[in-house]
Amino acid sequence: MSIPSQNHPSTLSIRNLTIEYQVKRGAVQAVRNLNLEIRYGESLALIGESGSGKTTIGMGMMRLLPSTARIATGEMIFRRFDKAGQATGVEFDVMKLNERELRLFRWKDGAMVFQAALNAFNPVLKIRDQFGDTARAHGYLQGEALRKRAYELFGLVRLDPERVWNSYPHELSGGMRQRVLIALGLLLDPPMLILDEPTTALDILTQRNIMDVLKDLRGKLNFSLVFISHDLSLAAELADRIATVYAGRIVELGNVYDTFQNPQHPYTIGLMSAVPTLTTHRDHVSSIPGSPPDLIDMPSGCKFHPRCPLAVEQCKREEPPLIPTTDDEHLAACWRWMDAKQKLMPNPK
Amino acid sequence: MSKQLENKSWVERVLKHYITRTVAKKFLILWVVVTLSFLIVRALPGNPVDIMVINLMDSQNLSEDEARTRAASLLRLDLNAPLHEQYFDFLGNLVRGDLGESYVLARGKSVTEIVFQRLPWTLFSVGVSLLISFTLGMFLGMLAAYKRNSLLDQVLTNFSAMIGAVPNTLWAIILVLLLGVVWKVVPLNLMRGSLSPGIKPGFTLEFVVDLFKHWAVPGLVYVLTTLGGWMLAMRSNTVSVLGDDYVTVARARGLPDFRIITAYVGRNASLPSVTALAISIGFLLGGSTVIEFIFVYQGVGLLMSQAITKRDYPVMQGILLVTTITVIISTAIADLLYGWLDPRIRIQGNEE
Repeated sequence: MSIPSQNHPSTLSIRNLTIEYQVKRGAVQAVRNLNLEIRYGESLALIGESGSGKTTIGMGMMRLLPSTARIATGEMIFRRFDKAGQATGVEFDVMKLNERELRLFRWKDGAMVFQAALNAFNPVLKIRDQFGDTARAHGYLQGEALRKRAYELFGLVRLDPERVWNSYPHELSGGMRQRVLIALGLLLDPPMLILDEPTTALDILTQRNIMDVLKDLRGKLNFSLVFISHDLSLAAELADRIATVYAGRIVELGNVYDTFQNPQHPYTIGLMSAVPTLTTHRDHVSSIPGSPPDLIDMPSGCKFHPRCPLAVEQCKREEPPLIPTTDDEHLAACWRWMDAKQKLMPNPK
Repeated sequence: MSKQLENKSWVERVLKHYITRTVAKKFLILWVVVTLSFLIVRALPGNPVDIMVINLMDSQNLSEDEARTRAASLLRLDLNAPLHEQYFDFLGNLVRGDLGESYVLARGKSVTEIVFQRLPWTLFSVGVSLLISFTLGMFLGMLAAYKRNSLLDQVLTNFSAMIGAVPNTLWAIILVLLLGVVWKVVPLNLMRGSLSPGIKPGFTLEFVVDLFKHWAVPGLVYVLTTLGGWMLAMRSNTVSVLGDDYVTVARARGLPDFRIITAYVGRNASLPSVTALAISIGFLLGGSTVIEFIFVYQGVGLLMSQAITKRDYPVMQGILLVTTITVIISTAIADLLYGWLDPRIRIQGNEE
């Protein structure tokens, strides 16, 4: 599938999204003024450290946040497309949906595959009943037709349909459950699929298998994929675009090739130098000094400046906006992006 | 695989067979209880003759010697046989299904007959109360969990802790006093006995209405003493299930709330209480001794308290045995039910 052009209307436009958690010490802003377009048919990776707000963004897109969280501001415009990818003109703000509309929006328009797929299924119901529940909730196929559809999806995710269909969740391995959840996610043919750390907690061979399944699916089906991960190599393999998240904001956004070859933000550069490769000497693998900021007591100006080797006076005073750098499609939020690559990349190619 | 099986001795195979093992275990429990009750009953101070002697001396102003001859002629019991002889006698009769005859309460009448005449009343009053208390407790517990930290939750939780802390005897007295004497909402004759005089048991409306009228207050005591426990257990189970990933995923899947509450949250949260339900049947049967005594309810509990005061050994043993069997059967039912509710603990051998 080709990378969709930037002129095509997006599947989901997130504008000024701010999500707060209520904690004892006050309100924590886990996502701050986020603007992001999930383009039609694209694969977008959200990468960042633990606690950067990636998962909160994903949950916020489905409005599935825990009761302690509150979406303070923002809108999320969702657009529907026909089979040929043409806009149908149907668009709505996910924030404005009522309980019933929201229930129907979930899984039909946007499905989510969770980090903890091991416990994603009700332990007392067979897989077939859990497919049945989902289908019934959305007035979708039932009975024999549903079974056929599920078998087709199990085939896509490389599972033995006969075996899985009549199993209880505890009878399946972790990797199998993850693939069953992906199949369940695709049941209603959603235009958007959110994957939250889909391979964490799985062994390396199973990870490989899931990645192959996902790549395979991207080639066969047409949906936007939002991929939340801290694993850069998975992101590199699967994503069209990469958004680096730091302290609840996107600090760099660009297509996968540009981001890896030509990272602009010191934090992205730091993340990449933290990954060991076969060709780099182990002395060149470095971690980013310091730790992610305390979200209650955030530093002034650029939130990354206490950990940034290039920080100057301006960084402490003003938070940089997300602006185009080398081209319109490659954005970064850094005052010193022009110096970053040259000063921080160990061996520029 | 088959070769391995052949190599095992049949003893080993029998021991490894689930149902055989379970049944053997139950019989072992039964034997232990029967033996203990035989010994404990006889370890009580005073035997049937002594107790009757004291009663006769008190009520008819007889001297001790006169009372003793009278009691001996009335009871015609030989309690001087060695204990082990009595024990093997008792055990031998038991195996043949004979629980012996009552010494004092209904002299010469078979214990089986007496106990089975009373048992349905207790099973009815305790069973219906337990069902109400369990259902209500599950419902209120889930409600409190869904509204946790709200005023409603505070009220329900504190109320449960409070009613659970009051002993059942005190509840019985409080209810008799408040409902019967102070507010006069329930006529006092409905708090004595299990049926109004003149009403014959049968499938008539009159009987059923009267049955429930007499059940109401003792039933309320059972409900009040157990409700808090069910509610608090269900509340904490529900809170923990609500934090489970599959509930979040179910919401993400767009399932209707009703389906999530029943099949996803309710079913998983009530699993631990199912086992507790079986155990509580035993507790309630035990507790019925005092409650039935207070309300003169014609069940095994009342029979037990009468048998204890008269030291009617065979009746006491009979009731203890029947109670044990009831608990064993209800635990077995709970095991089956649990396996049906939770596929994870189903016995692997039974599948395919």
